[in-house]
This record gives sequence, C-alpha cells and structure tokens, in this order.
Amino acid sequence: MKALALFTIFVLISGTVTVSSISDVYAQNDLNILLRIATQADKQIINQLEKTFDDSIPFDIQSLYDKGHTSVLTLENSLPDNIEQARENFLIAMKSFKQITKMMSESTTEQKLTTSNVSDRDLQSELNRLNKYFQKLKTISEKHNTGIKFSEIEELFTQAHQQINSNEIESAINSIHQLESLIHTIKKNISESSSHSSSDRIKEFASKQLNKIQKILEDPLIDSNMPELERANSLVREIETLISEDNVSDVKKKFGELNKLVKIIKNSIR
Amino acid sequence: MNPEIVPIHRKESLREDGMLFVRTECILDTMVKIPLLVASMIIVAAVMPIQSSFSSPRALDLIIYPDGSTHVSADIDVDPLVTDYELKLFGNTIDNFVVVGESGFLLTTDVIGDSALIETFGSSVITVEYDIHDLVSKQGRVWTFSLDAPSDFTLLLPKNSAIVGMTNLPINMEIINDQNQLTLSAGDTEIDYLFSTTALIPDSIDSTIPIPNFDYISYVIGGIAVVIVIGVIVIRAKQKIVKPIQVQDTTQTKQKTETIDAETIFKLKPDLREDDKEIVKFISNNGGQALESDLRKKFLQPRTTMWRAVKRLERNGVIEIEKKDLQNLVKLRKNMEEEE
Repeated sequence: MKALALFTIFVLISGTVTVSSISDVYAQNDLNILLRIATQADKQIINQLEKTFDDSIPFDIQSLYDKGHTSVLTLENSLPDNIEQARENFLIAMKSFKQITKMMSESTTEQKLTTSNVSDRDLQSELNRLNKYFQKLKTISEKHNTGIKFSEIEELFTQAHQQINSNEIESAINSIHQLESLIHTIKKNISESSSHSSSDRIKEFASKQLNKIQKILEDPLIDSNMPELERANSLVREIETLISEDNVSDVKKKFGELNKLVKIIKNSIR
Repeated sequence: MNPEIVPIHRKESLREDGMLFVRTECILDTMVKIPLLVASMIIVAAVMPIQSSFSSPRALDLIIYPDGSTHVSADIDVDPLVTDYELKLFGNTIDNFVVVGESGFLLTTDVIGDSALIETFGSSVITVEYDIHDLVSKQGRVWTFSLDAPSDFTLLLPKNSAIVGMTNLPINMEIINDQNQLTLSAGDTEIDYLFSTTALIPDSIDSTIPIPNFDYISYVIGGIAVVIVIGVIVIRAKQKIVKPIQVQDTTQTKQKTETIDAETIFKLKPDLREDDKEIVKFISNNGGQALESDLRKKFLQPRTTMWRAVKRLERNGVIEIEKKDLQNLVKLRKNMEEEE
C-alpha cells in the first residue's frame, strides 16, 4: 500500500512539474510571437520610411521610429526572462509604429470600404466570398438531401474565375451578378425543401418540452389558485392541438408565452 | 517526567491526565486512510482538465479578404426554449448572412440594420456566418481593422499583409497558408496592416506555433520523440569524420588573408568619421564582413542611423553591401589599395 501511495504521489508530482514546464513553454512561445510581430512591423516601417523619405526623414517621425525600434531591441533583449517588460515594450513599439503610419497617411483621406465603387472592386475577393457562401449552402443542402443541382452555378464560378484572370472586367461583374441571383434562389429553395423536416423537428422538440412542463405544473407545491397556472395549463392544451394541426408558427408563438408563465410559476415555488 | 509512549491500539483507556500517545512509526497507518488519499488525489487530477474544458468560450473567427471585407463566423449558445434570438452584428453593411441550427438546419432570419432576428426555437447552439464591410478602413496604403469583440477571437489576415501597428497583446499567432492568424482577447482591438512584397513572414519561422488549448499529453509524447530524434542525431554526428570542418577553416583563413586590415583602410581614407572607423574595425575583426543587424546590435544604434553609416561607408568606397536572406551583408572591399 505504501508503495502504491508513493507511486501515486510520484505520478502526481511529475504531472504537476510537466504541466508547469508547459506553462513556461507557453510563455516563451507567447513572447516569441510578440517579437516576431514587432520585428516584422519594424522591417515594414523602415521600408516605408526609406521609400517615402529616402535619407531625409522628418524629425518627429524619426524620433517615433527610434522609440519603436529601441523598444523592439529591448523586447528582444528581455527575452526569455522578463515577461512583463517584454509585453510593455511590444505595446510601446507597436503604438509608435502605428503613430508613424498614421502620420504618413494623414495627407490621404480615410476610405470606408464598400463594394459600390466599381473602380475599387476586388472581384477576386468578391468571388471568393460568394464561393464560401455557396459552399456553406451546398453543405446544408446535401445534408438534408434537398436534391438541388449545383452544376450550373459551379460552371458559372469557373467562368467568372477565368474572366477575372483574363481581365474581362465587365463580363466578370455580370457573372458575379448572375451568381448572386442564383445563390439567392438556391437559399430560398433550400429553406423550402428543408421546411418539412424542420417543422417535424420543431414539433418533436415542442412535444418533449410540453411533457416536461406538464410535470412542472403538476408540482403540489404550486398554489392551485394562481392565475398563471390556469393560463399555462390552457396554453399546454392549445399547443397540443396546434402540433396535431401542423401549425408550427403558432406553436412557436404560444410556446414563447408558455415559457414566460412557467418561469413565473417556478419562481413562486422558491 | 519521562512519559511512557503507548500505542493507542494496545491501550484500553486514556491516561488520567487525558494525554494521548501514539507510536510515530504507525502514524501513517493509523491517521491516514491511504486508499482514500489515493482515490481523492486521482479524482482531483482527473477533474482539473474537465473544468478547464467546460469553461471554454464560444467560437468567433474572422477572415479579412484582400479588399478589406471581413467574413465573420460565430458559434453562439442560445436558449432552445426561446423562440427568437436577437443578434447584434458588427456593423450594418452585411452580405451573405446564413444561420444554421445545431442539427444543420437553415434557420429563418431577418436582418434589420446592425441586428438580426433569428428563429432559434429548439436549437441550443447556432452557427452564424456573414460578410461585413464595416470592420476595415483604408487610409493611404494603411488598412486598419477595428473591432470591439464580445469574446476572444481569431483573425486571419490577408496574404502578403504585414502588421505595422497594434493596440493590444495577441494571445497567439499561427501561419496558415502564408497568412498570419492571430488569436486576440475580447474588447477593443485595432490592427494596422499594409500589403508588401518583402519581409512578410519573419525569418526562421515555424509553420505553426501551437498553443492556446494545449493538449499536454501530446506535448509530452512530442517531447519524448524530440529527445529520441536529438539522441539519434548526436550519435550520428559523433560517428562523422571531421574533415569538412577542416575545409571550412581553410576557407575562412583564406578569406581572412584576402581582407584588407582596418589600419590600412584608415591610411587610405583619413577623412573617415570616428564612429565609422569603429564600424570598420569591427567588420575587419569579424573576418571582413558582418550583417547590418549585427552592427546595430554591437553599436546599439537605431536602424536608420546604422543604415546611414553603412551607406556613408559605401559611398566612401570602404564597403560593399550584398543581400543575404533579406538582410544586408556588409563587406570590406578587397580592391581598395589597387583603386587608390
């Protein structure tokens, strides 16, 4: 028995040591991430400064850069021991670089991104987003065996990709519009096709919940003269009827009301 | 004055003064129920990871496209007994909105402005996906992503983008298909990035840095595997002949003899600044070449200051600059004497 106890203690101690060493590894990696981001930003900023100002960087930008760059060096030197200092230096560096980019961009007006401006449209991004949306709908459709065919839309995607690659902008925009319209129709069709199984699922869920609620309402601790109790019982009967009539939308509405009443009744017992 | 030590199990009653004595060698058996101790320690050890996994937050993943639009994907816990769920969106320019219940059913939704009403009755978890154009703005060449996130989230930045400003600390960073993916904490976040063709991925990068939800068993197994691999490498290395090292040494010696020494350079270029002379001395002692980053570290100079010094030396014909792995390799020129 003593041997077992000693073995267990040994295992637990080793486990604790292993876990704490992992935390150290985490902290180390965490700090390496900070160094990577800061170094990357430093490189980008100096590239931008060299491109924009060559050898005549304005004094305020130069001093901001020096501050940021020194923080990156200090961050590097503070690794791996001084976690707090490393984090502080990271934030100082990134804030300095952020200020520099802001100062360099001040002359240009800020632009909120919209897809309405045709000249700025990134058609490839638009197509990729649309494709992601389409793939999601296709997965839903296949999962519920809706039988919807996707070959036409897939061909149109290939065509739009080709048009973008060969710089046929107008044709690509037309294809994207067609795709949007087709995907909209597909979504509608999926909703209609899955509505039957969806309503079955809701009816099944509602029936199960009604059984649970009925048990709650039968609790002898509830004051039988409570007006909420009478209304709740009446709603339970109404919902049962609605379920048998396949009236799912009304089931949901009535269930919302019933749920609120059940909460009041439950609180009255406490 | 010399109290008698009596084992408790041999004693019929307590002494008159009420003192209780036990044999110290039996204390473990008598006072500690070992099976109970072992069982409770095992339970404690087993329960700890379960508690942490229960407390994991809902998922929120964002992907920024090159045009600044953002794809949002979120898993949200909802009350299955409530008929509708009102979701606050991150803006009001929404496209491609789709919500799926836990069993994969497409849920009915109504998007009005920056909120969406979702019919969630019967679902305890919903997956919401949409594209939004409000999270990224552009000024000049700089793109700024800003979000007040309700929970921790991941953010996949576009290809060829480089972060140049950030307001808070990231939890993690991974490289996925040459794209930076950050894990960030809940709350206000602002990230500036720009597109570039150079220095996108930092030097000596791992393909991914695993971390946040750590499976420590796999880590331990991985650690053992690494130790074995290192052991094999060390054994193999010991078996190798040292010849290649000798070849390298001769090459280095040859290179050193070809390099002009610092004093000769100073005679040839008497107008060099004192700080530039220090740099030349260092390069000369370093075998005639050094990385610009090493010079910065040695002389603790900001990047621009060192860059100017190096450019000055290049203009004076003392050094030449070569690109090596995206870094500047600074070399003393060998044919200076001939030129002079």
